[in-house]
Order: sequence, then structure tokens, then C-alpha cells
Amino acid sequence: MVSPGNMKKVLVIDDEPFILMMIEAKLSEAGLNVLTLREGRDALSFIRGELPDLVILDWMMPGLSGIELCRMVKEDPELSHIPIFLLTAKGQDADKEAAFESGASLYITKPFSPKALLKMVNDAIGGQ
Amino acid sequence: MDSSSLPYTTKDFELTIRELSDTYEELSLLYRLPEILSGMGVDEIAQQVVEEAITTLDVKTAALLLYDEDGRKLCTKAFRGRWDKSTIPFGDNSVIWDAVEGKKPLAFCKLPETDQVDFAPSGSPVLVCPLIGKEKLIGAMVLADRESQAEFYSNDIQLMMAIASHAALTIENALLYKELEDFLLFAIRSLVKALEASSEWTAGHTERVTEYAIAIGTIMGLTEKQIERLKVCSLLHDIGKIAISKDILDKPDNLTPEEIREVQRHSMIGAEILGGFKQLQDVISGIKYHHEHWDGSDSFMGLKGEDIPLMSRILAVADTFDAMTSDRPYRKRKAREETIREILSLAGRQFDPAVVDAFRKWISRQHPVSSP
Repeated sequence: MVSPGNMKKVLVIDDEPFILMMIEAKLSEAGLNVLTLREGRDALSFIRGELPDLVILDWMMPGLSGIELCRMVKEDPELSHIPIFLLTAKGQDADKEAAFESGASLYITKPFSPKALLKMVNDAIGGQ
Repeated sequence: MDSSSLPYTTKDFELTIRELSDTYEELSLLYRLPEILSGMGVDEIAQQVVEEAITTLDVKTAALLLYDEDGRKLCTKAFRGRWDKSTIPFGDNSVIWDAVEGKKPLAFCKLPETDQVDFAPSGSPVLVCPLIGKEKLIGAMVLADRESQAEFYSNDIQLMMAIASHAALTIENALLYKELEDFLLFAIRSLVKALEASSEWTAGHTERVTEYAIAIGTIMGLTEKQIERLKVCSLLHDIGKIAISKDILDKPDNLTPEEIREVQRHSMIGAEILGGFKQLQDVISGIKYHHEHWDGSDSFMGLKGEDIPLMSRILAVADTFDAMTSDRPYRKRKAREETIREILSLAGRQFDPAVVDAFRKWISRQHPVSSP
């Protein structure tokens, strides 16, 4: 049994509850410690407090957009090492460049395969 | 909210999320499928669809079958797992034929004894989906041997039908495309035959050059698509000779420099004849420059090095090899060994050294020759 202290910590921020639940179910099933937030506001201080191993961010959120938050994380020397996955709805592909410029390490289009997402998470943080 | 007032347990809730997650998985597949399959040939599409079915429906055995031409048997196009049939004649493995003939998917949690199949362990679930294209029924997909041993539920069948109908349309399109392509190749070959019939000296030249060019291109690691283009280019490379005077082409003596120039014009004329084919622009360039010299010396159109299209550079070697090893009106063919030495010695001058290198490898695979 892995103690929660040793578990890799993944923070998921999305305003769609279904996406949050689904990612949480898939990742925790695989033995990851999953934290969730419904919006980007206050997320930065939350990240500072929790220091997750990876952040999965929805691009389009009320309040603070995923890409702005991504930029803020990448500009913070204490946090800039944390890999970030950006989620976006299909059809917004043109912004792919902006996503990478903001420092995101992956750009994932919805609908995505939860199985594939789990694999990408494990590849990024060296899980099982 | 007080969840105890709801008639659902946490367990229900978790199950629902898992089911939604599965649905989302499927949805993402249906979004990806058109992108994955676009531009593929029939074999690739079939294999890809089988792989996707295996992962998405968690089965160990999957096969995609297409009708043969007379519609009396199904032929395996792609498979994975416990599948050892190349064809299924009408009536064999009747559960498959029932689904195909009925144009409806059939799922069995346990096959009836009378409908024995030999590709799934007895008593294990089997799912058969017909492949229905826009025009007609084209075949079927068979899934068996589920990882979880669970039966196929209605959502599995629905998902499989969605995959199958997309696969069927894409395969149907690819088959039509292939038919058009075959038609084009046939038309090209007829054109070449017309050309060759007009001069006994060049009979068979085109087919041989094509064979040599493809062999060289394959050794150079060209993609399947590039090889296809190279084939068309080689078949058409001499088409411009139609416009060159027979007196010169069949002249029994050595050609004068002017006559050589005249003969060389055939590459440009060929490019002009075909100029209207928008789809053949790369092929046309390949034909136009196939008499250019790698080092630029004596180049007819003034190109050199890698400015000369790769197809032209390959064609140059293949064409020369055949021309020198065949009889021509003005000279007898040279000995094969002598020709090979001459071509090797022209690497870096008349020919691209990389092409000559591939040529050398190809030759030594057939009959090892002593190096010059």
C-alpha cells in the first residue's frame, strides 16, 4: 500500500464538473493523488501550498483562463518546473502556438481519451 | 447537499462516473477515427480499425473481413488474436453470415451449440458487425475473447456499429480510389504500348526501366507513396519520343550531335504532353529532367545536383542501364559487367552518387560483380 505522502499529486482545474469527475476517477484508479478545483481564481496560491507534481488545466474558464494561469505558474521560479497540460475544446486548434508559448508541455483537445490521458500523465511524472 | 436523502449510494455514483468515462473514451475515438484513417490505403485502414476495436472493446481477437468480388466468400483483410482463416466460404461459421446477410449486428453471450465457430473458446461472447458502406454491404467485423469475459452490452454494440460504419465508408472510398488509380495506370500503360509498338527497338524498355527504378528507389528507402509516383514517372518517361522523327530514332548509324540534341528533346516534349495533368506535376518534373547530369556538365536544361528532382536522378541511372544493355539501331548492346562498371564510374559526374550506390547494392544482390 502506498501512503498518500508518496503518491504523485495531480491538480485538475476545470469548470466542467463531468470532466473533473472523470479525470479524477481515472487517475485515482491508477493510484494517483488527485486534487480538483472548479475555477482558476485562487489557484496560484493553492498550487504554492500544495506543490503538485502536475497540473491539468482547462483553457476556457470563467475568471482566470487556463493559459493565463499557466503563464503565472511558469513565471514563478518556485513553480516553473511543474509540467502543465492544457485542455481545450475541439475547434480552437489555432491557439496551439499560444499554448506552447505560455509554457504548457502538452495540449490536449476535448474529447480526449481518458486512457491516453492517464498514459501521458504517467509519462510526464514517471508514475506506473 | 445531503447525499443521504438521495436514493443512490456512493457506489452507484462511482459506477456512473466510470460508465460516463467509458462513453467519453468512445466519443473521443469517434472524433479521432476520421483523422487517423484519412489518406490510408485499404490494408492500413483495416489494420487500424482492428487495433482500435481491440483497445476500445477490450477483446483479444478481432478480424475485419471483406467480400471477395463475386460475393460468395469473406476474405480476412486484417486480424489480431486467435484468427487463422484467410477466407470464409458462404455458409461456414454461420453466425458471421447471419449478421452479414441480416445487415444487423449479432452479439452472443454464449453461442448456440449448432452455430459452432472455431475462433472463440466455447461459451465465450462473440460480436459480429456487418460493414455497410454507402453503396452496399462490403463485409463484416468479428470480435471475440473479451478480456473481462463479460458479454457485449448494448453500448458496446452501439460503439462497434459506429466504428464499423465509419470503417465501411472509409474502406469503400479507398476501394473506389484504388479503382481510379488502377484505371489511370492502365491508361498510362496503354499509352506506353502505343509508343513502343511504333519502334521495335524500344519494346519492353519502359517496363524494364520501371522495374529497375523501383528497385533502386526501394533500396534508397523511398516511401510507398514515393515509389508509386516513381512508377508512374518511369512508365511515362519516354512518352515524348512520340514526337521525335522515326528516322532519327531508328537510324542505324551513330547520331550526329544535332540528332542527339533532337532525341534529348523528348524529355521536354513528354513534360509538355502531360502538362495538363494537375495531379502529375511531380511526375512531369521527373520526366522533364531525366537527362540532366549531376555535375551540371552537358545538362540539357541547366540543372545540377539536388536541384534535379530525385525521380529524375533515379530514372537517369535506370534508363541508362537498360539502354546500354539493350540493342539499339546504331550499336549492339554492351556486356552487362561493362555497363555496370561504366555507370559506377560516372557517379558524381553524370549520376547522383547516392543513386549509383543504391544501384550497386541492387546489382550485387542479383549477381555479385567484381568491383571496378
